[in-house]
This record gives sequence, C-alpha cells and structure tokens, in this order.
Amino acid sequence: MPLLQARSLTRHFGGLAAVSEVDLSVEEGEIVGLIGPNGAGKTTCFNLLSGFLRPTGGTIVFGGEDITGFRPHQVAGRGLVRTFQLTTLFQDMTVRENVLLGMHLHSRQGLRRLLFGRQIFPPDEVRGSDEVLEFTGLAPQADQLARNLPHGHQRILSIAMALAARPRLLLLDEPVTGMNLEESGHVMALVKTIRDRGTTILLVEHNMKAVMGTCERVVVLNFGLKLAEGTPAEVSTSAAVIEAYLGAGLQHA
Amino acid sequence: MPSNARAATVFVAVVALLIALPFVGGDYYIYLFALVFINVILAASLRPSLTCGQLNIGHSAFMCIGAYTSALLAKNLGVPFEISLLCGALLAAVVGLAIGYPSLRLRGVYFAMVTVAFVEAIRLIASIWVPLTRGNAGLSVPKPSLLGMTLATRTSQYYLALVLMLIVLVILYKLERSRLGLVWKSIGMAENLAQSLGVDIANHKLLAFTLGCFFAGVGGAFYAHFIRFLFPPEFGFLLATNILVYNFVGGRGHFAGPVVGAVFLSLLSEPFRGSPYETIFFSIVMLLTILFLPGGLITLPGKLAGLRRWRPTSGTYAPPASA
Repeated sequence: MPLLQARSLTRHFGGLAAVSEVDLSVEEGEIVGLIGPNGAGKTTCFNLLSGFLRPTGGTIVFGGEDITGFRPHQVAGRGLVRTFQLTTLFQDMTVRENVLLGMHLHSRQGLRRLLFGRQIFPPDEVRGSDEVLEFTGLAPQADQLARNLPHGHQRILSIAMALAARPRLLLLDEPVTGMNLEESGHVMALVKTIRDRGTTILLVEHNMKAVMGTCERVVVLNFGLKLAEGTPAEVSTSAAVIEAYLGAGLQHA
Repeated sequence: MPSNARAATVFVAVVALLIALPFVGGDYYIYLFALVFINVILAASLRPSLTCGQLNIGHSAFMCIGAYTSALLAKNLGVPFEISLLCGALLAAVVGLAIGYPSLRLRGVYFAMVTVAFVEAIRLIASIWVPLTRGNAGLSVPKPSLLGMTLATRTSQYYLALVLMLIVLVILYKLERSRLGLVWKSIGMAENLAQSLGVDIANHKLLAFTLGCFFAGVGGAFYAHFIRFLFPPEFGFLLATNILVYNFVGGRGHFAGPVVGAVFLSLLSEPFRGSPYETIFFSIVMLLTILFLPGGLITLPGKLAGLRRWRPTSGTYAPPASA
C-alpha cells in the first residue's frame, strides 16, 4: 500500500478546475517529482495534500488513514510536512529557534512546563536541533537571525525546519528556486540523503535538471490534469510532455 | 546576559520610584498615576493578541464588561472587591472566548471589523440596559476593599493599582518568554509556516485573545472602583483605539513597548483628557511614530546611540558551511 494515495483529487476555483481528477501515489522511500508548465496546478496540488486547501472532490489517504479535509496542523501531525515556494521563515528569530519550532510538533510538554519551564526548550530538543543543523550544514549560522542568511541558506533552513518535524513524507515546493548550479546541486544531494535516512519525498520543481537527476518517478501535470507519469527518461521523451512544455509545432521543426 | 541585567535594573528602579511617589507627589499625581497603571494593564493585555497577528480594535469592550460586572456585584450584592474583580475578569474572558471562537477563524481585516462592531455593541448594551446599568445616567460604584477593609484613601488605592499592574505585567511577561509566547510570535510572523509545523493556530489565537480579555477585565474592574462612576460612552471605540495606539507608539517589538507607550501617551495627553483635542493629539503622535519611529518609542534609545557613535552596519554574511 502506498504511503500517500490521492484519488481523483479535484479543486475548483469558481468555474476553473485548478486540479482535476488527479490520481497520485507515492510509495514509501521514493523521491517523486511533480512537474508541469506554469499554472499546471502543482502548487494547488501541494496545498490540497497539506490541508491548506480543501479538495472539491476526491480523497487523500496517508499512511492508511483518510486525511481528506484535515486542517494543516492535523496533516502535519500525521507526518506529512511541507515547505513553501516563497521562502517562508520566522525571519526575526535565530536559525536555531526556527529549527526548534520545527520540533514543536513532537514536544510533549505539560502546561506547567510550557509556562514555567526554566528553559523554553528542553535539552533533548536542543540536541535534536543541533543534529538537524549539523546535518544541513547550518550549524555555523545557528545564532544568526534567519533574515540575515543568504537566500540559498534560507531555502536550506526551511528544509531543516520541516526535517525537525520528523516527517514521514516531505513535500518540497520548489526547493532550488533562485539558486545557482552549485547551490542547487548541494540541495539535491541533501534531498537524496534525507531520503536515504528514511523520509519519503515529493517535490515540485521548475528546474528540470534538478528533477531529472534526483527523482525516481515523475508526474506531469498540465492544465490541472495528469498528463504523464513515469521515470524521468520516459517522461522526457513523451510526445505529450514535450508538446505541453514546448508547444505542438516544435516537434516537426 | 548584560541587556537582561540592565532591563532588570531599570525595572527595579522604576518600581522603587513608583513606591516612593505618594511621599513626594500630591493627590493629583497619585490619581494620575493610578490611571496610568490602568492604561498600562490595558495596553499590555492587548499584546498577546497582537503578537499572534490579530488586530483587536475593540479591547475596551472587555474592560467595560470587567468594570460593570465588578461594580454591579459589589454594589448590588455586596461582593468583596477581590471576588468581584475576579468575576469581572472571568466574565470578560468568557465573553472573549465566545466572540473569539467564531471570529478568530476570519483572516486579516475581518477579525478587526468584528471587534469594532463588538465594542459598539457592548457600549450600546451598557447604555440601553437601564434597569441594570442605569444607562447613560451613569452608575456609582463603591470604593475598593481588601480583606474586608475599605481602601478609602487615594494613596491606598494607588498602591493597589501598582500591585495589580505589577502582577499583570509579571504574568504577561512570563507568558511572553515561555514556549507559548514563542509559538504566538511564530504565528504572528508566518501563520502558514507555523501551521505546517503542526501548530493549531486557531486554538493558540483564541488562547492569546481570551487571556488578553481576562486582563482587560482586571483593568476594567479596578477602574470601576477607582473612578467610582461608570458612564457607557467612556468605553467606546475611542478608548479601544487608544489602547491600540499605546502598543504601536510604544513599539510592538518588545514587551516593554505597550508599557512605555501607555505611560508616555497617558502623561502627555493628560492636559487634553476628555476634550476633543485628545483624539487629535493621539492621531498626531501615531502619525509621527509611523513616519519617524516605525519600531515605536522602544527603539529610540538604540537609534540615538546609533547616531552618537556612527558606525557601518556590521555585515552578518557568513560563507556557506558546506558547499
């Protein structure tokens, strides 16, 4: 049974079907890419899976449980954690505080601890955050404000926070946007390591090179519909996909 | 930490001065500062909600509920002040919970609109429910008491106000510096991110809002027994915006912001109290703050220090750790 299974996922905005009858499944341990031209419905799909949007139709089953219509924090609580396309961080907190808040989900603190604990974060969480910071290479900047990090590091921090929440499935929304070749290579290597440590990954990305080099399976959306699905090699040679990306005329050119 | 030690020193010094005030100042100053303390309670109690990113423009409604509840209990049923104050605060919190539960799910400006409507509704209820509140004829209120003793002198009431304010401030400070406070801050900074990390933002906003209503109720209850006359129009939209302005003028980036804002504005606006110029004064101060000190008065010392010793802003860029 797949870790995540969406059946005929549909979302209408007024008369527009942003996502229409999309079937999507992700097996445990996979890295799956969700690609498509602008406006294909990729981000809408992410918002549906992570509970930020309610689907108009269809079901989402995660880890054997029907999570259709769950609110975002409930989805996150089940182990399905997302990042955001625009760099979204707690800008005026330090890098470590950002990661520590990522661990919030798993902290079981009583109200007394919550209000009157001597340290805001118990030692085991601090250790956990150190581990995540070390793993993502952000340890040297741990005490800087998030807003002072360079763009590439901010993107990595948003992944680090999601990791701190110990997800079973990590949804990455355009993790290498705005990065140069070296930076995006670094992030993609990080993504593979994360998978190797046991977290399944579904990512949306515009950068084809990054997708083709990292993902084992690719799902292509176009105008809210699933256009194709397969290995990167299969998809990149599919006539329908080439047409969607480059236009029909080009094949004959 | 040195900055913490400095803040603690300032705090102790200010409290010492406030304790000494009745020995040096006349009745007028005692009265004035007790009013300032009430404003500080109101301003600080709005902060949890603001921290969560909720614009509450109706805080005086909860002060009003606290004031009338405590006043009526004491006047009609002879309930001792300690109990009536607590009841006033609790009812304010319960009403806050009832208003907040549906409306905190609204985003952005819609919540603010609900609070505006609510403050007018409460003011109207206080005006119209004549058999209970005596409406716009006003309600006279007994003096506060403590452990059965009536606090008849202004000086004793001043100390009561001081102690109440300190208790409220310590509790709110503890909250802000707790894990809960950090989660509230995270909601204010990036609501969607907090959600994606498993924070139930609706419940946290509701908790912050309800706690704020409770302490506004405390402020209102004391106000009732201190002024000893309740008049519904006093609790209108204007007072609510003033409470908000205290927070913005003082600065929202620091716990001391609303405290500084409330003290500064209450003292400076004293000559205009009750006159139409009060509104003009508040508007001008608010505009000047937005234009010249967007971080509020609390950022002024830092800015002045920065002007005195001119230095380039220190670069915070560090090279990538592993790339």
